[in-house]
Amino acid sequence: MTDGPEDYPENDPQQPQGQGSGENRFDLSVPTGNLANPSDAARPEIEKSGTVTPDGNAQTSESYKSMGWKGIDDQDENEDEPPVAFGKKEKIPEDELDMTPMVDVTFLLLIFFMVTASFTLQKSIPQPPAASDEASLNVQQEEDAKDYVEVIIDQNNTYYVTSRGDEEREAPSETEMRSLVKDAVDTFGPERMVITAHVDATHARLITACDAGQSANLAIEVKTTDVEF
Amino acid sequence: MSKTETQLTLKKRKQNPDDGELDITPMIDITFLLLAFFVVVSKMDPQQAVDLPRATFGVSVQDKDSVVVIVGKSETGTENQIFLGRSKDPSIAVTATDPDAIEDAVAEYIQGELSANPEKDAVMIKAEGNVKVGLVETVRKGIAQAELSESRKLYAGIKEEQK
Repeated sequence: MTDGPEDYPENDPQQPQGQGSGENRFDLSVPTGNLANPSDAARPEIEKSGTVTPDGNAQTSESYKSMGWKGIDDQDENEDEPPVAFGKKEKIPEDELDMTPMVDVTFLLLIFFMVTASFTLQKSIPQPPAASDEASLNVQQEEDAKDYVEVIIDQNNTYYVTSRGDEEREAPSETEMRSLVKDAVDTFGPERMVITAHVDATHARLITACDAGQSANLAIEVKTTDVEF
Repeated sequence: MSKTETQLTLKKRKQNPDDGELDITPMIDITFLLLAFFVVVSKMDPQQAVDLPRATFGVSVQDKDSVVVIVGKSETGTENQIFLGRSKDPSIAVTATDPDAIEDAVAEYIQGELSANPEKDAVMIKAEGNVKVGLVETVRKGIAQAELSESRKLYAGIKEEQK
């Protein structure tokens, strides 16, 4: 496919000579007749161009051309380069590869790998080492100086939050537990959190309790028990 | 715009025939670089099958620096099982059901892994959210039994979630 000017139909024979060559195209000295009285002659002609009839079309396009304007259908045969054609594929020379499909596929692959990349990083919560029997002795000694928030998770996955000078308060939902822990931290400023979980509680509840403590910058101890609350 | 100006613009355009054609070669270069980076960095593995509990506070641990134990349901069964490794491969599942036997199996695995790869500085428990605390505690006790794990940090794998 060539977009050269030779593809277009021959010049309109009715076109005035002034359009024929680039030199005097914009030459005002060439009288066109229509410019003599623009208000009377030109304006009605433009309005007329709205009506497209087989023979009238040629006449109207001629008249606005004579004012130096160009219509959409008018080919400018004076240009050396082909006219800018939007939506038309430009001719690619034989020795050049069309890279567009390759770029498309590459972008697809790029997006795929970006989405599936896991970066080999695992988000995690630091855990205290497994509770040994000695740990429980430790707790016994600190029983009276309750400078920690205690969170109990019972066999039914219910939270009980106890903070110094406060009664044990039940928190059925995770949100309530979080707000109770936050209250305790704001009121008493403890530095530790002791989580006592029943063995039948779920791991997710324990992790949520750890998360609440981590958010409040508390050191966390975890104990498990098989004694029913 | 006067007519002489129009003529000037037209002349200028003729001098620049490449105008309007973008040179996409650098863009393709960068795209290939990014593509190669993500191909190298991304890792396809079945570890996504572990349904980790969600938490807002998480620290990032390099996967290659940690020994992993998975606690969760196997792909076929309904019972929670312990897998000594990064996948839910039935061949690495702990077959014992007695807590003491589980502890011993976990301790042996951790000890073996840490003596073979002393540069690993973390032990990661990836336990699913619905696993009972008792089973996770058994694994933690097993990890504590391995002497080499004393100097290592213990982590519980989570899925980070903004609230």
